Formats: sequence, structure tokens, C-alpha cells
Amino acid sequence: MAEEYRSRIISIIIGVLYPFILLFGFYIILNGHLTPGGGFQGGAILSAVLMSRYLVSPNQDIRLDSLQIVEKMAYALIVAVPLLFLLMGVGGRLDKTVYLVLMNALIGIKVSCGLSIVFFRFVFYESR
Amino acid sequence: MLKVFLVLMVVFAVMAVQTPKLRQAVVYLGIFSLISSFVYLLYSAPDVAIAEAVIGSTLATILYLVALKKYAVYTIYFTDTVDSGLEEAVAARRARILELVEGFCTERELEAHVIYTAEGKEQIQQNHSYDLIVMQEGEAVTVCGSRESYHVDGIRSHLLEKDKGAGNRLRFQVQTEEEEVGP
Repeated sequence: MAEEYRSRIISIIIGVLYPFILLFGFYIILNGHLTPGGGFQGGAILSAVLMSRYLVSPNQDIRLDSLQIVEKMAYALIVAVPLLFLLMGVGGRLDKTVYLVLMNALIGIKVSCGLSIVFFRFVFYESR
Repeated sequence: MLKVFLVLMVVFAVMAVQTPKLRQAVVYLGIFSLISSFVYLLYSAPDVAIAEAVIGSTLATILYLVALKKYAVYTIYFTDTVDSGLEEAVAARRARILELVEGFCTERELEAHVIYTAEGKEQIQQNHSYDLIVMQEGEAVTVCGSRESYHVDGIRSHLLEKDKGAGNRLRFQVQTEEEEVGP
């Protein structure tokens, strides 16, 4: 996107909306066990923050490697936490709500990292 | 209520298929997704409705629009090895070289996609697919075209012709070969 094609209105409005989108994403993740929503939907909303950031400034200063590392760690934890709960019998002692919120948060992190990686690889690398 | 929206879904699906312009088809598809998410809500499946609204009508639409843009996009990597972007003269020179390149893009009906990066030329060549690398080293500007790009000869003659009187120290390279222009 060339400089003059970038709309000033869009960049200002998205700058104002950033915190609200973030808040909404975290709300959907953390309230996933009570209200509609959950890790996947909230993660998708969080990745929309990074995509709108691309609309404002197409700079290539996002480190995809570290995003990928975070995503892999989240995946390992998603596999490990329920296994731990099942095998070690920790589940009985821990509150169910804590477990659900923890799993929703992990899934949210993984989904937002994954969708951001997909989007930025698509935008910056796959030109033809 | 429900039947109205179901009929609307069919209408927008047909419109998306029948419209001659791809961009309009993408917008109709986004509206279709939004309506279908509302229909999920009426079927009392709010979870699915949120997922459909976020993914179907936001992420998918953005991805389709970006893909349409990429269809005729000209990727330019701009690096400034001497970091003095605040000085006005340097900024003006940078604007000038980018203006030349963008003039070429307008002529050929390409979409210029400028990426500012701090990486060196070798890194860009190894890691990214590019059409043009513009390197600013203080006074001198080195332009490096990719051999895979269809427009490499066009932009070379365009730049050399437009730059004759300007007195920029412009060099044009095609990957390994290079030639010197200007004073």
C-alpha cells in the first residue's frame, strides 16, 4: 500500500478501537465458560487486532518466529494440562472454573498466534 | 423472521455468484456470512454465531481482499542503511525515488506495495520474494530488480530515463550484474 492510498480516517479510527477490540477479545476468552464464546472465538478477535494494525502501517517488524514459538508452547500446554489433570488426579483438588478459564486462555493464545502467522505469511511472503 | 433471513441468504449467495466483479462478490459473501451468523443466533446457537461472525465475515473477507490486491502487486523493499530519516533532504530524496517507482506502477496498472525494512540486501534476497529492492545509502541510491519479475526491463528503462536530469546517484542492478549511471 502506497502512502497516499492509506486512509487517514481508517488509521485514526483503528487507533481508537485498538483497546476496545483487545478488551472484547479478552472478555470473550475469560467469560467463555459462562457466556457464549470461548478460546477459539476470542483468539480470532485478538488476531484481528494484528490484522487491523497491518491496515494502519504495513511494517514488517512483527517477529513471526517468536509468535510461532509461543504457539508451539501453547499447544504443548494444551496437551499437557488435561493429561496432568487426568493422570495425576489434580483435578479433584482444583476448582473446575480455574481449569476451564486456563484451558480457554491457552486455546485463545494458540488461535490468535496461529491466525496472525497465517495472515502475515500470506501478506508479506506469498506474492505469487 | 427466520424465513426472511433464510431467503436473504439465498439472494446474497446468488448475487455473489452472479456479479461480474470479484471485489463485489467478496463483499456479498461477507454480507452472506453476517446473515448466516444471525440465523445461527435465531436457531439459539450463539457460540457458532460468534465464530461465524468473526471468521466468516471479518477474517475471510479481509483475506480475500488482500488476495485480490496481491493479484497485481509490485513488492518493493526499501532499506535505509544510513539511518537519518529525520533529515529533510534525505526524506525528500527517498520520497523522490519512491515517487519514480510508483509512477511506473501507475503506468503499468500495478499496485505498489512498499515494505520498509532494516534487513540488508542479501537477507532480503534469501528470505523474501521481491520485485524490487531500493537501497538508500546516504546520497547514493541502489535499485536492485529481481530477475523473476516480468517488469524488470520496464522499470529499468523507466528509472534511467526519468533520472537523467535529476542528478541522483542511481545505480540499477539485476541481481548480480550492475551498471553505473549518473555522475
